[in-house]
Amino acid sequence: MAPAVLLVTVFLLVPFVWTIYRSFFSDSRTSGFSWFGNYTRFVSDPALSRSIVNTAMWVVGTVLLPLVLGLAIACMTNATRWSRLARLCVVLPYALSGSAVAVVWNFMLTTDGAVNQVLTTLGLGSLAHGWLLTWPGNTLVMILANAWQATGVAVILFLVGLQSIPPETLEAGALDGAGSWQQFRHIVLPQLRPISIIVIGMSLVNGLKSFDLIWVLTQGGPGRATETLAVSMYNETFLELRPGAGAAIAVVLTVIVLAASWLYLRRQLDVKGE
Amino acid sequence: MSLGRVLRNGTVAVLAVLWLIPTWLLVVNALVPSESYSGGPHWLPEGFGLFDNMSQAWDQAHVGPALANSLLYAVVSALAAVVVASFAAFATVVMPVRRRVLWFWVIYSGTLLPLQVFIRPLFLSYAKSSLYDTQIGLVLIYAAIAIPFAFFVMRNYALTLPREVVEAARMDGASWWRLFWRIHVPLTRSAMIAVFVFQFVAVWNDLMFGITLTTSRNIRPIMAALADLQGNYSNVGPPVVLAGALLVSLPTLVLFFSAQRFFVSGLKIHR
Repeated sequence: MAPAVLLVTVFLLVPFVWTIYRSFFSDSRTSGFSWFGNYTRFVSDPALSRSIVNTAMWVVGTVLLPLVLGLAIACMTNATRWSRLARLCVVLPYALSGSAVAVVWNFMLTTDGAVNQVLTTLGLGSLAHGWLLTWPGNTLVMILANAWQATGVAVILFLVGLQSIPPETLEAGALDGAGSWQQFRHIVLPQLRPISIIVIGMSLVNGLKSFDLIWVLTQGGPGRATETLAVSMYNETFLELRPGAGAAIAVVLTVIVLAASWLYLRRQLDVKGE
Repeated sequence: MSLGRVLRNGTVAVLAVLWLIPTWLLVVNALVPSESYSGGPHWLPEGFGLFDNMSQAWDQAHVGPALANSLLYAVVSALAAVVVASFAAFATVVMPVRRRVLWFWVIYSGTLLPLQVFIRPLFLSYAKSSLYDTQIGLVLIYAAIAIPFAFFVMRNYALTLPREVVEAARMDGASWWRLFWRIHVPLTRSAMIAVFVFQFVAVWNDLMFGITLTTSRNIRPIMAALADLQGNYSNVGPPVVLAGALLVSLPTLVLFFSAQRFFVSGLKIHR
């Protein structure tokens, strides 16, 4: 056990405490203790307020889209045989990294990219524009790109859940005269509850931590418009050279992530280990 | 065929095609020889320049050494995490250790925190201790970051094993060391493989530590090299960049589809 405790403490817990400590010191040259001075920047700095709004959009998008699409696709492809192929199409992107997804979607979304090409061909050239250039459109398309990748895992998990529902339950429901919608609503959905919580929790935390896709696609730009908290932290610390502000962002992000984790972990953890 | 069925199959087909389009364009345009690429994306394969594009990516973005680096980082740190985490799981589950709950939280807390909270202190102390821009530095942090989750999975799995085996072996006078290698390791092998696969992919796909803790091309991991290649998009042209993305994704694609079973079990045990 000692090596695990040692590695985690030295590489993770000590830096964590140091970041909390650092967040209370200002970034001026004297670097004095400034209580919550760095935290007030969330209100005073428009880039950071924007970052909070973007993070909220990411969270809603990364939770809702994979949940709804994943459930729908899993249910619709569970029954028929040919739909395995369809399912493969959806699951495939999950095996790509965030950076690779960014490369693919940059190709789709740049000014002479695939989306604009399709729009022009369809005679909708007026709709074609630089998708990554204007807010809030750029954040929305990146959330869609993320959903393209993340839905696959939701589909896999929901299928596992669907296959664990005993067929007798459904048959009993059908005998009692439940239509297929009623079956879904009253038998399938309640049984998928535990899996849904896993999917929601996973997407929530991934949405909050999302970094790779945004970093490779826009680096948080143009003009810091697409930053989420994770990207803002990196920008403030390493590009704007305001480590105190960066530390404050990291702490706020941690609090949000911990709160989100708590929502689903408390159902799952059996800490006593007995 | 009922209307409902037609609707359902139609929806599935539309969704599948929508999902396939980016993948399709990725493959098709990575195939187009970069000299003959002009203007907009191609929708149908034309010529075969995949290997040329890949080798251009290999040379221009120095993807080659980065691939070797990432292979080293992913294998070594995932292995280290599996070994260290199974020791820890063995200690907290099988051995009569005091304050198990405390130790559990000390180790597990690492996976709950976002990476952003570690990165600057690590950057500073790496710079001071000459771990910055070294392979051993990256292996250490990747292993450290992988341990909490690996521990969590190994521990949950170990909890499901029957205790009688351990008690019987102790009665027969087996040492803890012997017990670990002869009983614990063989019984938890499938969880170990799941954890290894999962952590291999996590390390392989990491971008943030790669761009923060390294600068040289012969140290940098693969996703940092890919981000760099993407930064050169207008110079090298889309086919080379896409071929690069495809190239760096091949190992995880292969692993994912050959070990899907382990992925799913890993995911289920996790969150």
